[in-house]
Amino acid sequence: MITDSSGYLYHAWLASASLPTVQAKQLLDEYRTPENVFHGFRTGHKPKGITPAGIKALENSASEQNLAKLDSLLMQHHIRAFTVLDPEYPEVLLQMQEPPAVLFYQGDLQCMKQRLLAMVGSRAASYDGRKAAGRIAQELSRKGVGIVSGMAGGIDSASHSGCIEGGSPTIAVTGCGLDIVYPSGNEGLRDSILKNNGLLLSEYAPGEKPIGWHFPFRNRIITGLAHALIVVEAKIRSGTMTSVQHALNQGKDVFVYPGDPASPYSEGNHQLLREGALYFTTGEDILEDLGWLDNPEIIRQNSVCSGRMAPSLSPEEIAVCEILKPGRLSFEQIADRSGLSPAILMSTLTMLQIKGTVEALPGKQFQLKV
Amino acid sequence: MDEIMARTLSFGVSGVNGYPVHVEVFGISGIPGMEIIGLPDASVRESRDRVNAAIINSGKQMQPKRITINLAPADLKKEGPSFDLPIAVGVLIATGEIIPDPGLNIDKIALFGELSLDGLVQPIAGALPMVISAKENGIRDVILPEKNAKEVACIEGMNIMPVSHLKQVIEYFEGSETLPKQKQISYESLKKEITAGATDMALIKGQKGARRALEVAAAGGHNMIMIGVPGSGKTMLARCLPGILPPMSFEEALETTRIHSISGKLPPNSGLMVVRPFCAPHHNASVASLIGGGQDAKPGEVSLAHNGVLFLDELPEFSRSAMEALRQPLEDGIVSVSRIRRQAQYQSSFMLIAAMNPCPCGYYGSTRKVCRCTPQETRRYLDRISGPLLDRIDLQIEVDSVPVQEINATAPAESSAIVAARVNAARLIQLDRYRGTGKHCNAQLNNAEVKRYCTPDAEAVRLLDAAVETMHLSMRAYQRILKVARTIADLEHSQMISSVHIAEAIQYRELDQKYWR
Repeated sequence: MITDSSGYLYHAWLASASLPTVQAKQLLDEYRTPENVFHGFRTGHKPKGITPAGIKALENSASEQNLAKLDSLLMQHHIRAFTVLDPEYPEVLLQMQEPPAVLFYQGDLQCMKQRLLAMVGSRAASYDGRKAAGRIAQELSRKGVGIVSGMAGGIDSASHSGCIEGGSPTIAVTGCGLDIVYPSGNEGLRDSILKNNGLLLSEYAPGEKPIGWHFPFRNRIITGLAHALIVVEAKIRSGTMTSVQHALNQGKDVFVYPGDPASPYSEGNHQLLREGALYFTTGEDILEDLGWLDNPEIIRQNSVCSGRMAPSLSPEEIAVCEILKPGRLSFEQIADRSGLSPAILMSTLTMLQIKGTVEALPGKQFQLKV
Repeated sequence: MDEIMARTLSFGVSGVNGYPVHVEVFGISGIPGMEIIGLPDASVRESRDRVNAAIINSGKQMQPKRITINLAPADLKKEGPSFDLPIAVGVLIATGEIIPDPGLNIDKIALFGELSLDGLVQPIAGALPMVISAKENGIRDVILPEKNAKEVACIEGMNIMPVSHLKQVIEYFEGSETLPKQKQISYESLKKEITAGATDMALIKGQKGARRALEVAAAGGHNMIMIGVPGSGKTMLARCLPGILPPMSFEEALETTRIHSISGKLPPNSGLMVVRPFCAPHHNASVASLIGGGQDAKPGEVSLAHNGVLFLDELPEFSRSAMEALRQPLEDGIVSVSRIRRQAQYQSSFMLIAAMNPCPCGYYGSTRKVCRCTPQETRRYLDRISGPLLDRIDLQIEVDSVPVQEINATAPAESSAIVAARVNAARLIQLDRYRGTGKHCNAQLNNAEVKRYCTPDAEAVRLLDAAVETMHLSMRAYQRILKVARTIADLEHSQMISSVHIAEAIQYRELDQKYWR
């Protein structure tokens, strides 16, 4: 006995057969809805254009056990879905190659209506890279631009968080079923995306594991949804480069953040810039290039930090700030240049950190806060 | 009647305490042989063959008699070769080979030592607790191996007679020779003799921040963890620590030497340990080797490090169970080791110094090399160290590697002696403050005592509150900061904890924010 308590069971059935997107689309064109596909398939009608392997996959996926599991996952996680034929389906995706036949989502579909930019970069990102991603995302978000990314660690997470801070909803496209949070430990970010009217999208049925090849493949949706792609930090051989490829195939602009030329974390950035990618340093640059300067600024009430100490600095603190002006330094270097005793320097640095003038970085490094 | 009975006195060791053992030897005509009873272990049972050979090689005869040797009390298990000497003397008397000098009170002379086949007396483990027990039992005269003499030379009011060959003992009992006496060595004079065993801090180039942290740790007895890239000098820093800690008091030296003595870790001819022990077990150490165990409940590394430093390099590589087992000794300063046949309690009050890399490849956060680890790998690596263990570590510091030009240049740094003087002064202030409470340094304070002794002034309170707000410090960190600030104030001979002290102490919690968020 099949129960479809969520209303999206047949969507999940179709998606979990993992047919090539072209074949899945063909089925939908023939039967209009996934439910019809299922019943037609059940009554023994052999659909046209489906390979024997595809039929086998559909049969496997139609086992009662699998259907019961899909139904409970859909219910438990409040996952909804639409197909390529539904009005909700974003038109921009239809223009790309292999548009997903079924998309699952959690959250608010409204946020696909705003202006969107994709932000990507490596998972093992540098501290500076994550900082930059957060800053750019926040700046764009404040100007009413939503950020699309992949909810991975590193740059992706920093971009989503920055966008939320800025006040615009953010969209995450995942490489696994929406019932799974990947990477584990990112539950907080997921909840915060949903709480702030954001959207989680996936072409994979609930229960689908995060398999390696899913990720480069889903990158086409990230770039497909957005008007342009922003690369924050990329190694030369990385998943980020597949996103760039997708963006170019889809005819989208690619903006690349320069990063430190000496840092191995941004080798790929400089290669892309040499190949003619668009250069930018602030969100403003991007908005200007895209002609989006007319976007109204979002003013958030709670973003003003209250109760911060008035930054009146002692002579030692001023001396340390002067030393830090050219860039970040290690504790030892500051000690050598300032001539302060380690004990005094430690307390001076703490005071500067509390006053919000200096920040501490891993590796016992310090730098002025921008 | 040709049976004779002899009784000599020796000592055994149980846990860290000695106990008297009466060696009773009974010889009778019959099938020649020697039987040892009174729960001997294999090494005690083998004693009969060593005794046999040693007697013959000392110019005496082994009479063909049936000899029974009883080690009383008969219900305690005896182990180790230290009973060779009393057994040999007992056998010689019981078989009539020695007619003892009537002036000697044989069962008031403690004897212990291992015999080699040619009659030489070899050093044994546990001489110190045995002699202490002898003193407690009202025994003055002790005959022991020459190489153990220095170890017990500090104990007052004893007549220590070191010997090197069984022959000397035979002649002493026959009354034809006297034995040399070990001169008492005062603990103070031992202290003067020491040539520093620890690395001198003058050898450390740069690392001003880490040096300061080490000084604070030593001054308050705080546990410390160092995170840094490979080759940044974490191990070298740790090795400096025994050299800047205040010297052990006589009682501490006695406690520590006792534990080393029973585990046979004292080198021959060494006196009481003056320099604090530095134990650095490898990270594949088992729980039993760290905490103590084995079928005879031997002390582990935590006890060998008693009153000294336990250095755990590559902390996350230690097994989870080994790390968790450290919690009890860290908390109580004592471990109970229970085995089926033996239960023992060993003191284990040590300073824990841990070192680790920031991630599996070691280069997370480094400016010179790229980290190859994924964020998950790094997280998993850091998470191997449990919260409760981290909770017992007051100081957390980052150590960065020193650039080459700095290794070659720079003026010589302060030596350990100068730092040690400051540390000692801070420790004296603490001893004074905690007189009568059973505590002796800031690290030992519990939460109630932190409230009582570590009161910052008004401005410092405001600063600490602001820090909790802006740097997201936990309540746990709050307590630790107060404790460490107390030590920093003590180093400056300041009664009051001011905002400068608090601000410095906050720097020693930086890893909470950067790594264990």
